[in-house]
Amino acid sequence: MTDIEIAPEMWAPTTRNGAAAEYIAAPSLTFWQDVRKRLWANKPAMLGLGFIILLVLAAIFGPMLSRHTYFEQNLKLSNVPPLFQTYEVTDSTGATTRFFFNSGNLNLYEVTPSGEVAGLLRATKKDLIKKQQQFKFGDKQVVLDTAKQQLSFADGTALAPSGWQWNMSNVLGTDQLGRDVLARQLYGARISLTVAFVATLVNFFIGVFYGGLAGYLGGKADTIMMRIVEVISTIPLTLYVILIMVVFNSGFLSVVLAIGSVYWVDMARIVRGQILTLKQQDYVAAARTMGASTPRILVRHLLPNSVGPILVTLTMLIPSAIFIESFMSFIGLGVTPPEASWGTLTSEAVETLRAYPYQLFFPAAAISLTMFAFNFLGDGLRDALDPRLRT
Amino acid sequence: MTAYVVQRLLLMLVTLFAIITLTFFLMHAVPGGPFTSEKMLQPEIQAALNAKYHLDDPLWLQYLNYLRGVLSLDLGPSFKYAGMSVNEIIAEGLPVTMKTGALALLCVVALGVPLGIVAALNRNRWPDTLVMVIATIGVAVPSYVIATVALYVFALRLGWVPTFGLDDWRGYFLPVFALSGFWISFIARLARSSLLETLQQDYMMTAKAKGLKRGTVLFKHGLRNSLIPVVTVLGPVVANLLTGSFVIEQIFALPGIGRHFVLSITNRDYTAIMGITIFYAAVLMVMIFIVDMLYLVLDPRIKYRADAK
Repeated sequence: MTDIEIAPEMWAPTTRNGAAAEYIAAPSLTFWQDVRKRLWANKPAMLGLGFIILLVLAAIFGPMLSRHTYFEQNLKLSNVPPLFQTYEVTDSTGATTRFFFNSGNLNLYEVTPSGEVAGLLRATKKDLIKKQQQFKFGDKQVVLDTAKQQLSFADGTALAPSGWQWNMSNVLGTDQLGRDVLARQLYGARISLTVAFVATLVNFFIGVFYGGLAGYLGGKADTIMMRIVEVISTIPLTLYVILIMVVFNSGFLSVVLAIGSVYWVDMARIVRGQILTLKQQDYVAAARTMGASTPRILVRHLLPNSVGPILVTLTMLIPSAIFIESFMSFIGLGVTPPEASWGTLTSEAVETLRAYPYQLFFPAAAISLTMFAFNFLGDGLRDALDPRLRT
Repeated sequence: MTAYVVQRLLLMLVTLFAIITLTFFLMHAVPGGPFTSEKMLQPEIQAALNAKYHLDDPLWLQYLNYLRGVLSLDLGPSFKYAGMSVNEIIAEGLPVTMKTGALALLCVVALGVPLGIVAALNRNRWPDTLVMVIATIGVAVPSYVIATVALYVFALRLGWVPTFGLDDWRGYFLPVFALSGFWISFIARLARSSLLETLQQDYMMTAKAKGLKRGTVLFKHGLRNSLIPVVTVLGPVVANLLTGSFVIEQIFALPGIGRHFVLSITNRDYTAIMGITIFYAAVLMVMIFIVDMLYLVLDPRIKYRADAK
C-alpha cells in the first residue's frame, strides 16, 4: 500500500459557515431549461434539427429563388445530367464548339464556355444501319458511333474529352420532360413537408382531444372509447389511407386528409395514459375545488404537463407521414402531376433507372436524410425529456 | 384464460364487421359506378350490367348481400376482369405473397435478433457501432429506394440475380431483402436495447452469483426475458410486411396480392379493392392474435383475464 501524505494543516477543523452550506453553486434550472441543456449537448439531435431548419427554409424560399419552375418543360433538353464530360472541336476558322455526349439518349448538346447547356446539336446525317451519326462543326466532321458510344473524327482518330463540366443551367440536371430537377426537388420538399406537418397537426388535434377526453372522463366512457381505439388499431392503416385516397381521388388535400384522419391512434393512447396518471395529482383536485371547468382543467393543467411524450410522438409522426406520403405517391395515389413530392420524384426516377440511374439519387437522398434528421431529433428529445429511458 | 381468448375472438369478429361495413360504404361513396369509363356505354348495356351485378338494388340490400357473401367466403366478382372472381384473384396471388412474406419474416427474426444480441453484448465496441450504423440506415431509407438501388446494382449492373419474376430461386433475394430491410434494422435496435435493459436486472446478477454458466445465464435468463418486446412487435411486423409488398411486388413485377391490389386501385376495380382489403385485414388480425397467444406462452408472468385492462 502506498502512503497518502496529508499535510498537517489539512487536519485543522474548518470554520462552520451556515450561509455557505445553504449556497447553491449551480443556478437552479427549470425542467425545460434542463431539457434544452441536454438537447444542446446531443450532437446528432442538433445536427438533425439544423438539417430540418435548413430544409424548411429551402422548401419555403428555394422555389422563389430558383430561375426554373417545377412545371416548365423543355423536351429538347430532357435527361441532361448535372455533371458531364465535354469535348471541344476547333475548325479551320478557329471557331471552337464545346459539347457533351449524353449516353442515355445518344444526343450531343452544345455547351457555352460558362457551362450552360445551349441546346441540342443536330446530326447532319444519320446512318441507322451502321449505327452512326455525323455532325459538322464548320469544316470538321465528327462521327458518333452509337453502338460503341464513341466519338471520332472523319479520319478515324478518336475525340478526347477536354474535361469535366458542372451543368450551370440546371444544377441538378433535368428529368425526362426537361424540367429542372433542383426546382422540382425544392418544390417536392415543400409538398412533402407540408403534407407531413399538416397531417401531423391534424393527428395531434384529434389524438389529444380523443385521448384527453377518454383519460379525463374515465370509467365507462374511457372503456368504450379505448375499445374503439383497439378496433381501429387492428385495422392495417395503410390500407385505409389507400381506400380514402381512392374515394377522394388523388391530390394534395386528400393525402393530408387521409394521413391525418388515420394515424391519431397512438397519440390518443399516449395522451390518455398521461392524463390517467396526472388527473390524480393534487393540483387537479385543487383546481376543481376552485371551480375550474373540465375544459379548463384539461387545457391549462393536464395537457401542459403531458407535453413531453406528446412532443416525442409528434417528431416521430412527421417522418412516418413523409414515408406514407411518398409510399402513396410511389404507387400512384399521391399528389397529381405536374405537382411533385419526393415520392413522385422517386417513382419518376425509377422509370428511367436503366438509362439515368443518377436521377434516383436526389429524391432518395432527400427522403433518407430527412428521415435521419427526424429520427435523431426524436431520439434526442426523448433522451432529453426523460434521461432514465436512455439505453 | 379461456374467457380472454373468447373475448379476443369476439372482438376480432366485431372489428372484421366494422371493416367490412366501412370498406363497403367507402367504396360505394366513390362518385360514378364501376362501369363509368371514358367510353360511354349504351344505356341498355349499362342497365343490363347493373342488373347482372345487382347494382340497381337499394344500397342496404346490396350491403346485406355482400355481408352474406363474405360470410360464405365469397368476395364477389371482379368488375374489371370479366369472369374472374375476387376469390380467384386472391388465390392466384396468395402463394407468391405468402412465400416472399414468410421468407422476409424469417429474415427479420433470424437476422434482426442475433444482430441486436451481438450489439448488446459488445456495447460501445465496434460490432455495436457497426450494427447501429446499419440499423439507422435501414430505418431511414425507404424500402422502395432499397429495392430500386438493389435492382440496379445486383440485377442490371452485376447480373447476379434476375431483374423480375420468381422463376429462379435467386429471384427471391432482392424482394425479400428489400421487404425485410427496415424491420431487420428495427428489430435489431429493439433487441439490443431490450437485452441491455435485461442485463442490468437483479436476477441476472443472482444467476451469475449462483455460479451458472455464462451461456445459461445469457440464454435462459437474459434472452428469454429480453425477447418479449420483440415478440410483441411481430404482429405489426407481419402487417407491414404484407402492406409493404404493394410496392415491392410492383418493383420486381411479382404476381402477388399486393400487385393485384395496386392494379385494382389503378383500374378502379371496386369489388377487388374491397375484397382484398377485407382479406388483408382478416389475415392481419389472425396474425396479431397468434402473436398475442405466443406472448402468453413466452412470458408466464402474464395471465390474461377477461377483465384485464
